[in-house]
Amino acid sequence: MSRLDDLLGREVPVRSLALLRTLVGPIVLLHLWPFLDDARRGRIYRDVFHQPYASWYPELPRDLYIALLVLGAIAAIAMTVGIAARAATITAFVVVTYNLFLSTTNYHHNRAYLVVVLGALALARSDDPDGVAPAWPLWLLRIEAATVYATSGTSKLLDHDWWSGAVTWERVVRVQHRLVTDTPLPRWAIDVLTDRDFHTAAAKVIIATELFIALGVWSRRTRYAAVWVAVVFHVAIEISASVQVFSYLAVAALVIWSVPSTRDRILHIDPTSPAHRRLTRAVTSLDWLARFRVESDRPPGAPIAVDDRDGTTLEGRRAGALVFSRLPLTAWFALPARATWR
Amino acid sequence: MYARRAVVAGVLALQALLLVRGAHADHKEFAYRMFPEASTWRADIVRVTTDGRRVPVDDPWPGGYRWNDLAGVRGLGNPGVRHHADAGLDNQLAFLRAALDWVAAHTPDDHETAYLEADVTYWHNVDPPARAVYRSHERPTR
Repeated sequence: MSRLDDLLGREVPVRSLALLRTLVGPIVLLHLWPFLDDARRGRIYRDVFHQPYASWYPELPRDLYIALLVLGAIAAIAMTVGIAARAATITAFVVVTYNLFLSTTNYHHNRAYLVVVLGALALARSDDPDGVAPAWPLWLLRIEAATVYATSGTSKLLDHDWWSGAVTWERVVRVQHRLVTDTPLPRWAIDVLTDRDFHTAAAKVIIATELFIALGVWSRRTRYAAVWVAVVFHVAIEISASVQVFSYLAVAALVIWSVPSTRDRILHIDPTSPAHRRLTRAVTSLDWLARFRVESDRPPGAPIAVDDRDGTTLEGRRAGALVFSRLPLTAWFALPARATWR
Repeated sequence: MYARRAVVAGVLALQALLLVRGAHADHKEFAYRMFPEASTWRADIVRVTTDGRRVPVDDPWPGGYRWNDLAGVRGLGNPGVRHHADAGLDNQLAFLRAALDWVAAHTPDDHETAYLEADVTYWHNVDPPARAVYRSHERPTR
């Protein structure tokens, strides 16, 4: 118990949560937009079929409800810009949660996950990106994030129709005519996508992918692979299905799997080299998780070098691959190169 | 320290409960069953009037009501057309049952309907079709 207390209570850099807060702001806006757009057209949830979760749940007068949605949108902007960030995050959490529980018809899994993420961000003291705070909100969020993949994968694994490929096959076959008319897919690709045997294998790949992400993110040995696969997985979902804000939220939330420590890798550059100076500018502007400290101590003509967290030093293109594999925006592209040049 | 323990334990216990609940609940809140089924459904919904007539909801309705205006959310629009069951059959049919009651209670200018009835045909994934009939609660008549 004392080890658990130590783990949960340890003060760690909140950089990843601060970055997540910045990324989640636009996602909250995207989430609230359909409600605001409906309100602009004079319609709110209770003008059509809705089903309150509980009779005692408070329902606001129409104008106040719309004002609350607007307040949520303002809070979302403040979250991203960093104005009164914690208060803004708490406000966004309250608005999104209140709205979700107004009616069963408002519920979607992606919205539930948004509530969970906002809740963890509201609990965390992440106002100062360079500050430290107790680690427990981060651990809670990690458990919740892994639970989403684990539950989704396990429920499919235990469902014979899913495991056999019947579910994905039936869904694709039912929209086959739209694949022909609404997509640029060639005939052979549509034939593959509507082939029953393809789905017998594809279903197992999907289930394995979800379970790999759920488990792989917990080990440092498999974490980068799990995150890389997760990005591919969510891009594929976004292309093939309508999932509201889920893809954006899930990809943004991947930053929570970065090790909560900062500036513990050193990038050594030659200050006389224009290429090294360009690299420094790129790292400075893209190192949103504060992975690197830059030192201008390489002799003229020497390649860049990076001291990794474990004490190893890499030079040249291997060092470059390591650097770009640790920057959120370039990691997905650089991770395969790093694996190849290891 | 105790507050921290309580919050963490409380959140995890609540999440565990919701996961277990998701195995049986119609609406699987926080149970994260993504793309659970390829099931489909369609329904013939009628207003059964106090004098026994069965009038499709697509026909003119006293008060000018239209089904799609009242209940065209969560996959309930155009019920006569076979379409995908939003988040699974349990979820979709629970919404349909609740929508029948809601519509029955929110059409005050309709003075002739006793209740609404949906004759539903549904296909669980690739299984053969099955049928169910749902009724709204009885409306007060004048």
